Amino acid sequence: MVLKRPPEAGDILQGTLDMLILRTLVTGPAHGHTIAQVIEHTSENALDVEQGSLYPALHRLEDRGWLSSQWGVSENNRRAKFYQLTAKGRKELAAATGRWRRMTRAIGLILGEQNE
Amino acid sequence: MSLRRFTHRSQKDNELAEEITSHLAHEQDRNTERGLSAEEARRQARLKFGNPQVTRERVWRYRSIAWIEDAWRDLRFALRSLTKTPGFTAVAVVVIAVGISVNTAVFSVINTVLLEPLSYPDPQSLVQLMSLSAHGSFPMANIPKFNIWHRQTSIFQQVAGYDVGGAGMNLTGGDHPEQVQGIHVTAGYFALFGAPVVAGRTFTTMEDSPHGGHVAVLSYGLWKSRFGGNSNIVGSTIQLDGQPYLVVGVIGRSFVTDAPADLWVPFQFDLTSQDLAHYFRVAARLKPGITLPQANAQLKLAVDEYRRTYGTNSLSSQDGFGVVSLQESIIGDTRFPLLVLLGAVGFVLLIACANVANLLLARASARKREFATRAALGAGRSQIIRQLLTESLVLSLSGGLLGLILGFAGVRLLISISPGGIPRLGEGGSAVTLDPNILLFTLGISIFTGVLFGLFPAVSVSRPNLAATLNESGSRSGISFRSSKLRSALVVSEMALALILVIGAALLIRTFLKLQAVDPGFDPHNVLTMAMSISGDRFQKTMPVAQVIRDGTERLRAVPGVVDAAATNCLALQGGFGMIFDIVGRPKGNAPFTGGAGFYSISYSYFDTFKIPLLRGRRFNEQDDGSAPGVVIINQAMARQYWPKGDPLKDRLQIAPGAGPAFAEPPRQIVGIVGDTHDDGLDRDPMPMMFIPLAQMPDAETALNSRVAPLWWIVRSNVDPHTLVTPITAALREASGGLPVAHVRTMEEIEIRTTSRQRFNMLLLTIFGAAGMLMAGIGVYGVMSYSVQQRTQELGIRMALGAQASALRNMVIGQGMRLTLVGVVIGIAGAFWLTRFLASFLFGVKAWDPLAFIATPVLLSAVALIAILIPAQRATRVDPMTALRLE
Repeated sequence: MVLKRPPEAGDILQGTLDMLILRTLVTGPAHGHTIAQVIEHTSENALDVEQGSLYPALHRLEDRGWLSSQWGVSENNRRAKFYQLTAKGRKELAAATGRWRRMTRAIGLILGEQNE
Repeated sequence: MSLRRFTHRSQKDNELAEEITSHLAHEQDRNTERGLSAEEARRQARLKFGNPQVTRERVWRYRSIAWIEDAWRDLRFALRSLTKTPGFTAVAVVVIAVGISVNTAVFSVINTVLLEPLSYPDPQSLVQLMSLSAHGSFPMANIPKFNIWHRQTSIFQQVAGYDVGGAGMNLTGGDHPEQVQGIHVTAGYFALFGAPVVAGRTFTTMEDSPHGGHVAVLSYGLWKSRFGGNSNIVGSTIQLDGQPYLVVGVIGRSFVTDAPADLWVPFQFDLTSQDLAHYFRVAARLKPGITLPQANAQLKLAVDEYRRTYGTNSLSSQDGFGVVSLQESIIGDTRFPLLVLLGAVGFVLLIACANVANLLLARASARKREFATRAALGAGRSQIIRQLLTESLVLSLSGGLLGLILGFAGVRLLISISPGGIPRLGEGGSAVTLDPNILLFTLGISIFTGVLFGLFPAVSVSRPNLAATLNESGSRSGISFRSSKLRSALVVSEMALALILVIGAALLIRTFLKLQAVDPGFDPHNVLTMAMSISGDRFQKTMPVAQVIRDGTERLRAVPGVVDAAATNCLALQGGFGMIFDIVGRPKGNAPFTGGAGFYSISYSYFDTFKIPLLRGRRFNEQDDGSAPGVVIINQAMARQYWPKGDPLKDRLQIAPGAGPAFAEPPRQIVGIVGDTHDDGLDRDPMPMMFIPLAQMPDAETALNSRVAPLWWIVRSNVDPHTLVTPITAALREASGGLPVAHVRTMEEIEIRTTSRQRFNMLLLTIFGAAGMLMAGIGVYGVMSYSVQQRTQELGIRMALGAQASALRNMVIGQGMRLTLVGVVIGIAGAFWLTRFLASFLFGVKAWDPLAFIATPVLLSAVALIAILIPAQRATRVDPMTALRLE
């Protein structure tokens, strides 16, 4: 087993991870494990993140008021903490998505790729 | 950023732990569904999650302010580790406290005297007007100069003259007459200094003109103490020098003058006067935007204006006018001695630092395994240095706090033994208070010393060879080559610094002894002196003054126990007036006059009372009064300087040639030559002096003298003069019609006072030198006993192999003394360079006085030898068997 250094919060992923979490919660409240799974599947495992690094991000987003949380019971009948997007979080997601699009477009232009 | 981030950390951490457990459970559920065994499902879940502890730590750290967190941990650890070695901690804190307290004490004085701005509004624009001459500049003025200066409206907003109230005034009209400090000022004085008026008003220009009437402004203190704060004081009349004075105002308590004032009266200058006597000071406020150089340039032009007005002879070609900032002028020549003092205490602090650094190095060596272990467990080098620096900062800040307290007690002591004449200290040093500057200074040097003595050991132990250290056995293995060299270097520098301090102290001790050995030229034993203010209208002519002196002398001689008595306008050792003179019939060449000399007006019994020997001619007698031909007596120094071959007794002196009609007098015959006295201070060579009988002074001079100086009485007794104070003051009161006397002191007290500056310097530097020497001794003791302890095993082997105890002892002594000698040599070189700054403090010894430069190193070496003997003796008592078994 090769130990991989887990990406730190300060790495390229930080902003991206925040955005992915917010995006995941657009469809409704979810607990940490669900969020991790959704991100894993929808990104086709391209983002190989230790699931643990999700939690610092969740707490940070909650402190900023973009998420709210509440303990509840999960589909497996276990106690879990459910996160929900706040109004502020929705606004942030829109803004972040916009920023992201502009950036990827710019990068695409620089790399000479065709626009969609 | 929301504060939520930093609150309820433990609660949030628990919640996170639960969240993680829940997450792992869900993942495990999923893995079980995929058909894995319970064990494998759990393993996979954990793998996928990563280390839950790391996650929690990351969130925890995110919720903390990292450096505070780290500092707090370091601090707690430092406190724990320091309280484990209370002896070491106490010694270190005390050594630092001593070093910091002397610095705080000296800085407090410097802060008050040199750094704090004057307490007047907008103090930067206040300047002192100076008279420049070939001999330097002095802050005194006469009326013609004031007249020209106060017209320089292009550079000055306000100009005011004031004196320092030397003559005193007699406040009578109550049960007890009292001499008070009455300061003469011009009308603009109060506005210039922004004095707050709490009742009434200050002087009008009319009141400050000749014949402007008797008016006075009271200080807050006098108003309260003498008049009980009477609210009707303004408009009432008080008795000053036997005359009624109308009180026109009271000045607020916050107004502080450097010569403390009880009341103010107007000068009432006649601005047309040609009186050239300098007897007051002038200050001015510069116009906004005018700089000192601009003001000085304008005053150069004012010199021409002065010469046009008063004639070219009124100011010699080298004379001129100038300004300096008022603060500079008040500080005067106290700046340099205070800075030298600061340098000396800086040395004490450096020695203290070296000492504590040494202690810390020893401690750090003993803790080498601890640091190696911590490094092995993952502590970075910077973390270890930070930890050690935290420890040393805890030490230095505790020492600083203690030092601040000690320093504040010390500054009271410093002021109580300080010579008079340090300006701006206030009554008994009351102006020296704890202010932010002092706190900042103490905090600053505490941190500085903490870093300074903490950095050496921190850097030296933070580079451990892990494997070697951990594998070494016991605690004896510690001392590395590097750190032993560092410790030696510290001891050497301690020795060198201490030697410089002690050499400085030795020079000042020698100076003081030389001063004590100086013969003042008179017999100060059993002589009482006192001042009588004669500033009133009664004493504007010579005759009534002479009458009071004659009566007083007779009455004093009648007091049992009194041997003789006399009066003078200047007191020996206190400095006096200077005066120019011509020798009648001797050509002066180009010079406007023959020369200048000290000028005393005395009563006829002055020389007998002081026991000043008559060398030739005769003394004055009762017949030398206003009706007799003018006579003058000179001292030996004057005879030598102006009559190297001739006979002074054949010559006549024209005193104050060209000083204006009011002071004009016929030439005086020289009738006697008396022995020299050190009237300018014991450390100065006797200067030429002329004495004339008080009874023969021109009236104008008497009037001026009465105004600027008191009449001094001197009384010689054959019993302790303190026992005669009551009958003497009573006799003088009767003789003078009820005038009080003040400043009652014996001549011996005055003599002590004149050497108090040297005594003060000597005392302080001796204390600092002794402290430095003691610390250096402790330093070398510490290094040598540590080295003996570290080498117990080696010494044991040497003994087992047959080394003599004396050989071992000599080996240790030799090593210790080598360090000492290196320090001494460096110290001598440093002292050669540094003692030049002491040159102006010295009297009768050279800055490189051979005795000081030989005796001091010997003394310091002896102290070091004693310190080394203790561990050396210990080395001989090493038991080979125990030493070897220690392994």
